[in-house]
Amino acid sequence: MAITNDVNELDKVPLLRLKSIGKKYGEFSALDDVELDIFSGRIHCMLGENGAGKSTLCKIIYGEEVASSGSMLYAGNDYEPLAPADALANGIAMVHQHFSLIHNMSVYENLMLGYVSGVLDVAEFVSYLINLSKRYGLDIDPYSRVSELSVGQQQRVEILKCLMREPRLLILDEPTAVLLPDEIDALLTTCKQIVAEGRSIVLVTHKLAEISRVADEVTVLRGGKQVMQCEFSEEQVDAMISAMIGSEIAISDLRLAGLSLAENIDVIATTNNDEKSADRKASQCMIIDDLSFVDERGNQCLSNITLEIKAGEIHGLAGVEGNGQTELGDILAGLSMPTSGRLYMPDFELTHATPSQITAAGVGIVPENRHRVGCIEELDLTENLLLSSIKNYSRFGLLNRKAMRDAAKILIDRFDVRAPSADVGFNNLSGGNQQKAVLAREISIESLRFLLAAHPTRGLDIGAVFAVYEHIRNSAKAGVGVLLISSELDELIAVCEKISVIYRGQIVGTLPADPQYRDQIGALMSGSGIQQRHSA
Amino acid sequence: MEEQIALFIASMIRLAMPLMLASTGELVSERAGVLNLSLEGMMLLGAFFASYGTYVTGSPVMGILIGVLLVLPVALLQAFLSVTLRANQLVVGIGFNLIALGVTTLSYREIFGPLSRVSLPGFDPVHVPWLSDIPFIGTALFSQNILMYVGLVIIVAIWFTLTRTSIGLAIRAMGENPRSADQAGLSVFKYRYGAVLFTGAMAGLAGGFLSVGDIHTFTENMTNGAGYLALAAVIFGNWSVWKTVGACLLFGAATSLQFQLPGWGIDVPTAWLLMLPYILALVAVAGLVGRVEQPVALSIPYRRN
Amino acid sequence: MMKNYFNEHAQVLLTTFGAVFLALMIGLLLVYLTADDFSDALVAFFDGMFGSTYAVGASLNRAVTLALVGMGFVFASRANLVNVGGEGQIAMGGIFAAAMALYGGVSDLPLGLAWILPLIIGTLAGSFWCGIAGVLKVQRGTNEVISTLLLIFIGLLVVYWSVQSDSLLRKPRTNSSTLPESAEIPESTMLPYLMDDSSLTLHVGLLFAVIFAVIIWILLNKGELGFRLRAIGLNDIASRRAGISAKRDMMLAMFVSGGFSGLAGAIMILGEQWYVTAGFSSGYGFDGLVAGLLARGSVPGVLMAALFFGFLRSGGLTMEMMSGVPSAVVYIIQGLVVVFIAGASRFADKRD
Repeated sequence: MAITNDVNELDKVPLLRLKSIGKKYGEFSALDDVELDIFSGRIHCMLGENGAGKSTLCKIIYGEEVASSGSMLYAGNDYEPLAPADALANGIAMVHQHFSLIHNMSVYENLMLGYVSGVLDVAEFVSYLINLSKRYGLDIDPYSRVSELSVGQQQRVEILKCLMREPRLLILDEPTAVLLPDEIDALLTTCKQIVAEGRSIVLVTHKLAEISRVADEVTVLRGGKQVMQCEFSEEQVDAMISAMIGSEIAISDLRLAGLSLAENIDVIATTNNDEKSADRKASQCMIIDDLSFVDERGNQCLSNITLEIKAGEIHGLAGVEGNGQTELGDILAGLSMPTSGRLYMPDFELTHATPSQITAAGVGIVPENRHRVGCIEELDLTENLLLSSIKNYSRFGLLNRKAMRDAAKILIDRFDVRAPSADVGFNNLSGGNQQKAVLAREISIESLRFLLAAHPTRGLDIGAVFAVYEHIRNSAKAGVGVLLISSELDELIAVCEKISVIYRGQIVGTLPADPQYRDQIGALMSGSGIQQRHSA
Repeated sequence: MEEQIALFIASMIRLAMPLMLASTGELVSERAGVLNLSLEGMMLLGAFFASYGTYVTGSPVMGILIGVLLVLPVALLQAFLSVTLRANQLVVGIGFNLIALGVTTLSYREIFGPLSRVSLPGFDPVHVPWLSDIPFIGTALFSQNILMYVGLVIIVAIWFTLTRTSIGLAIRAMGENPRSADQAGLSVFKYRYGAVLFTGAMAGLAGGFLSVGDIHTFTENMTNGAGYLALAAVIFGNWSVWKTVGACLLFGAATSLQFQLPGWGIDVPTAWLLMLPYILALVAVAGLVGRVEQPVALSIPYRRN
Repeated sequence: MMKNYFNEHAQVLLTTFGAVFLALMIGLLLVYLTADDFSDALVAFFDGMFGSTYAVGASLNRAVTLALVGMGFVFASRANLVNVGGEGQIAMGGIFAAAMALYGGVSDLPLGLAWILPLIIGTLAGSFWCGIAGVLKVQRGTNEVISTLLLIFIGLLVVYWSVQSDSLLRKPRTNSSTLPESAEIPESTMLPYLMDDSSLTLHVGLLFAVIFAVIIWILLNKGELGFRLRAIGLNDIASRRAGISAKRDMMLAMFVSGGFSGLAGAIMILGEQWYVTAGFSSGYGFDGLVAGLLARGSVPGVLMAALFFGFLRSGGLTMEMMSGVPSAVVYIIQGLVVVFIAGASRFADKRD
């Protein structure tokens, strides 16, 4: 049922107007004087790098957070939501970056929650769901358990959850981060359909590529401030990039670093191009041979993975999240055992090795989720830096805190971890510094020979991203073999020499990390097969 | 022999009844994510208040109602501590059990004197017409006292609500992923408070059944671990209503056998029979009899941040 | 930095003492309401705590048992493992210690082995009992709160069974009214007193408690083991990645935790009761658990809480004997302390 409204009339009065919105967490200012107008029937894209305040702004609109200052007007009336229920009552719905589905329940149960009351009529609701999903092209099986769905499918459920309430405004927070390229297409098409009915969409993203396809209006946030708002046009793209990043760093440097901003960035030769020669006779560093892994639920997460990383080589593993990278990372870290196949270095058999044996063999792991695998936030910085080498500081069972502090200081200096002191609680550090600390620990492993870096720059600000790339490159120069797992194609092309693509647990191809292969690699990531011709 | 089996079934149901009431009540809380270790204490308080109420009013029905009503404030306090203050639910439970034991013992001694055993008016058995004439099990099943039937009706209502209504869906969501429920616009606090209050009422009813409904008197610490047994039944019943009821019947059977077996000439140490429910629950919670369907958010306080 | 440390600790101490004070006041009120003679009741209470060397000794003995259970709890809680099964572990410790003392042929051994060996066996029995829950946790991920809780009742019933069964601990029946309990242990296996003053029945358990308290404190706060346990308790996956063997350390934590309670049970039998009856543990496991909970991870805190509850118990029992006020008042005071602190901890703890 489309909202029948006079579109011209609506164009003049914004559906949602934000006036001088500010948000402070103690001393820290997450948002400062943000003004925003959102109109009906339009897609408004919110652009900004990680930490710019986009999610905070969405939470305020959706009632999950309350603004410290400023006001909002919705359909001309004062709008001060104190809880999501208020937002929902006003016809505002949100699909979060991290889904809030109940894994042990079925799709229809998840969707009925808070929507129907009284005795449940499952059959009727299911048929309603099926109709709804057809209308928007969001194909889903209502009876399936959420835990069995893929990430893309789960997102469809989340979107349906919102659409059921016939929202006038739909907020999508980084929806494409977890999708395959063709799923992204489908989503953007769905967005256009939703908006055609007279609804509005706020699309939060840091990917310029998507914006170019659907945006009507664009707002750029940086450091909590709104630095640009305009109607979208191609000519404005460069201005948007610089607004997003700020003028301290020249655009050309950005393109060199290969940040994933635009699809058509020309990656000019990096300073390391000379060393990217494919003929280097380097020795083998890490061999993954025919590795397979079946998890406890019986899912075949990895099938016959074969990879060879040479010393001093930065080898990329491209793939959208959820295609087996996590499981591979866990196996390399020694946290789980492969079901079949081998994992070894020239003089170390690592297939069934424990984490400490793996570390002793000179393997460093920068995990994709440092909070789960890489660090213990409640401990302090020193303890985290020395977590894997704690035995070296223990005499007769007692810890030598002074020696620990000294060793930690050395690492802190060398890796430029910004912290008030070595004893500060780890969770008091910013994300970027936490990641630097984890990197510091892993790179400083005695006789490091292999480094796994999984999504190492995710969620980091520009400065930290550069630092990470620099450390990785330095390690490679020193002869360490690096496996860089990432879903950001531009990052991989800029940093790596070779890129293998993982799709549904299998290696579907290996190509040189050169911009000319970009489309092919992308196609492999989406599972479209090895032989693919794209028009430029 | 027939008679003995009928007796056995009757006593099994009788012993299982307070467990069934308490455990299905606790089930609701646990599905909503709250663990009430204080079940034992609430049952004991219910037993005491019900006996006191019956003693004062002379009517067992009023007594039971008073028992249930007076446990509710306790349950409210428990909910306040566990849900609003987000206190450690373990600690709260143990504390409440201690207080309940102390208060009931103290009050009983003060009110009824340290040695006398008060005998209270009880319930007459209610014979379900025609059904109770079925030979063999008729008397056992259909000539129990009225609380039993009331209890059964409540349990069926619990099952229906939990599985077939939106309230039940909401309760289950609270126990699996309260954040989702919150984002869907449901109030986690309201549902969890409601669940704990309901558990308190059921625990009070169960306690009343023990004192007024069954042995027609109150003795110090008369629950004697029944509350923990009810918790074990929920675990063994894998958090599903009918399996929990089954577990309670099983536990009731084990307890009943303690008295019946010697009469049948079988000599098993009483201790083993008494241990059986706990061993079964342990085996169940170790996942040795199938996948454990524990509500994911059980005993984890919710905080919207 | 120092100021924060001080503030935190000051807050915790304040809430603890506040809770205790409030609970005591309420307890006092209850005694006033129920006593025939309030001052008599109070005098009896204090007599029971400090009134004689005997009283002090008995109170300290009680405190020793509680302190050991509490220490065991704190040890495991460092790794975020919650062992509520102290009562059951005491039970197992007691019966195995008694069995060794009675039938293990140790009564003629020199150098104190007559009582040392039963103590060791009791400790190991407690370790084993808690170890069951440990294995379940490590191998099957079973919630240790539930498993140790269930094991309490199984343990208590094992005691019941052992004193009922002639083939186990039950003493030989001389006539039809012989009670189901064990025989009295030989004198050589009884724990020696610390002093020759026969009115002061304080036994060597006190030494054990103090020595272990010091060792545990050092291990947990300055030792590598304490660090590892803390790491595991906070994030066992990251700990494993860092080379800490989470499974092994968790098992160790459970063993040690249960061992403490087992030792407590052995001490109760060998030091005070001298024979086993059903329910000999008399709720000390729960009391010790409460002491451990209140201490919030601090070893000195356990000792203080144990002293508090130990003396309180003694006072309560004497008060009941002498002036008829039910010692159940002590339960109420204990429960109130626990509930007040649990409720207030939200304000004192920065971490929810």
